[in-house]
Amino acid sequence: MSASVTRCPGCGSSNIVDDDLYCQAQRVCVDCGSVVSEGVLTEDWTGHTEISYSRTTAVARKPCLNLIKGLQRVKAICRILRVNNEIEKHSQTYYTQAYQHEAFIRVSLQKKEVLAGCCVLVSCRLLNWPITMGTISCLLDADPVVVGAVYQEMIKILNIKAPVFIINDVMEAHSQEYKISSLHVPEELAENSRDLTKRAVALVELAADTWIVTGRHPTPIMMASIYLSWQSLKPNKHRLKLTLDKFCQMAKVNKLKPAMKRIAEMKEVLCKLGREIPWVREEVTPDNVMQQVEDILNYRFALLRRALRTHEETLQAESEASGEDSLPEEAASSQVSEHGEQNSNAPTAEEYELNAKSAQRPRDGNDDPHTEPEGNTGGGESQAPAPNWGKRVLFAPPCVVHPKRRRVERPECKDVTGDEEISDSEIDSYIRTPREAREFAQTQKMLSESEKT
Amino acid sequence: MDSSNDEALDIIITNVVATFRVRCHLNLRTIALEGNNVIYKPDCGKVLMKLRKPKITASIWSSGKIICTGATSEDDAKLGARRLARVLQKLGFRVRFSAFKVVNVLAVCSMPFSIALIDFTMNNRPIASYEPELHPAATYRIKHIKATVQVFSTGSITVTGPNVQTVATAVEQVYPLLFECRKPLRK
Repeated sequence: MSASVTRCPGCGSSNIVDDDLYCQAQRVCVDCGSVVSEGVLTEDWTGHTEISYSRTTAVARKPCLNLIKGLQRVKAICRILRVNNEIEKHSQTYYTQAYQHEAFIRVSLQKKEVLAGCCVLVSCRLLNWPITMGTISCLLDADPVVVGAVYQEMIKILNIKAPVFIINDVMEAHSQEYKISSLHVPEELAENSRDLTKRAVALVELAADTWIVTGRHPTPIMMASIYLSWQSLKPNKHRLKLTLDKFCQMAKVNKLKPAMKRIAEMKEVLCKLGREIPWVREEVTPDNVMQQVEDILNYRFALLRRALRTHEETLQAESEASGEDSLPEEAASSQVSEHGEQNSNAPTAEEYELNAKSAQRPRDGNDDPHTEPEGNTGGGESQAPAPNWGKRVLFAPPCVVHPKRRRVERPECKDVTGDEEISDSEIDSYIRTPREAREFAQTQKMLSESEKT
Repeated sequence: MDSSNDEALDIIITNVVATFRVRCHLNLRTIALEGNNVIYKPDCGKVLMKLRKPKITASIWSSGKIICTGATSEDDAKLGARRLARVLQKLGFRVRFSAFKVVNVLAVCSMPFSIALIDFTMNNRPIASYEPELHPAATYRIKHIKATVQVFSTGSITVTGPNVQTVATAVEQVYPLLFECRKPLRK
C-alpha cells in the first residue's frame, strides 16, 4: 500500500484514512467518502503446497489415537505374558518407532495389532525371554505367516539384530503348557514338571546334535521330546502303550502332526546310541529303547563318540574287505574331526564311568562292543564314487538320508545360441488350421448355450 | 580354499524368467481361438501359451508385453521368445521382437556336507537371517549383486539373481561361509 496518494481524486482533500472493510484494506477520504485505493480481497493462487485440514485447524498437534491404542495393546500383551518392565518399555519404544515409519503408518488396524505383537516378540528375544512366534500368533489370533512377514519387515526397518531362535531356551516355557502334574491326571500318569523339563531339554540337545532340529519347525520337536521324556521317566507298559494322540488329549494340548515323525527320528537316534551301551545285551529296538533313555542321556557324549568310532571302524572294515581306496576313511575321519575330539586316545571321565559301570554288570566275558553296521553303508560303496554322502555318515539330516527321487535330467541342449533359424513347420504346429478354429468356436458356442439352459 | 576343493560344484539352473515386447496390440481372443496349446484367462487379462521345445510357458498381455518362464538357460529363453514371436506373427499380428531381457534366474546347488544353520546365521548377521518357525532355510541376501541365497541344513542351496553370472558369483561368495559352518552343532 503506497502512502504517496495523499489527495482524494474526488474532492482534492488530503484527509485520507485507512478504513478497512472487513478484510479488505481500503483508504477512504473523510470529506467526500470516496474510496481512494483498496487492497486485494484474496491472494492469487501461486501454487502453494497443500496443507492438510488437520494442520490448518489444529491448535496443537495431538498424538495419534491409534498409536495410543496400539501402545495400550502392547502393554496388555506384555502383562498377559508376564514379562518384566524393561521388555515392556522396549516394546513400546519399538512400536512407536515402527508405527511412524512410512511402511506401517498406513496399514490396516489389524496389521498394526500384529505389529504390536512383533514388537513384544523382538524385545523378548533381545532381553533373553524367549517366546515362540506361535505364542504371539495365538495371542493375536492372527495367521502365523502374516506375523512372520510383519516381523521380518519390522526388523529390516528398525535395523534390529535379533538373536537367533534357540529351541532349548523356549523348552521350559513350552513344557508349562502340558497339564500332567498330579493335580490334573491320576498319580500313575503324573510327572513333576521340573523333571520332565530337564529330561526334555536333554533330549532336545541330543536331537540338535544329531541333525533333527536344524531347519525344522521347533514346536513339534518340543512336543516329541516331552512325550518321550514322559514315557521314559516311568517306562511301564501303561505309559508305553499310550499314543501321542491320547497323551495330548490328557495334557490338554493340540497334537501336531509332524511330532509323530520327530518321535520316530528321535527313537532311531536313541537306538543307535543304545546299541553302544556296554552292559545292554539284548537287541535295542524302538520298542524297548525307552528303558535305556535315562542311561543314554546321562552318558550321551561318550555314547556319541563310541557310535562314531564304531561306524568308522565298520566303514574301514568294509572298505578293506572290498579292496577299495580310502574314500570312506576320509569321510569317516572327517566325521570324527567334526566332533572336535582328539584321536580317541584320551577317554574322558564319562567313558571311565561307562567302563566302570559295565565292569559291575554281569558279563559273559565278551569284550567287543556291539558293532552292528549302521544304516545301509554297504550297498552304496561298490557303485559310483559318491552315491549319497548322507548314507555314509552316522548322523545326517533326515532329508539327506532319505532323499527325494531326483527328476530325470533333461538332455542338455548345449549348442543353443538363441539366434538360430526357426523353421516354419515348427511354428505351424502351434497354430490351428482355419477348420479347427471354426470347429473350436462352434463347440464353445454349443457349450455356453447348453450351460445357459 | 578353492584349490583344496577337488570336486567341482554343479550349479543347476532350474528356471530362467525373461520378458520382451512385440510393440503392437494383441487380440487375446484371436490368439485363444487360433492358437494351439493356449489357455485364456479373461479374469487376469492374459493368455498362457506353452511351447514344447524349449519347454516354456509364456504369459501374453494385450499390450504386447510377454513374460516367458521355464527355460533352463538364457539362450534357451531367447530362442523360446523368438519362437513365440514367430507364432504371433503367423497369427497375423505385426510383431517386432524387442526389449528382450532376462529378469530372474533360479539355480540350485548341492554341497557335499551338512550346514549348521544357527552357526551360519550368527557368523553372518545381519546379512543372513534364519527363522525356523517360518522357513526351514537361512536366507542370505547379497545386496550389491542383488542375489538371494537360501541355505538348507542338508547342504542344498538355492540361488536367485538377475542373471546367470550373478548366480555364479553368489555361489562363489557364499561357499567359503558355508564351508566354515559345515561342522555339526556342538557345544
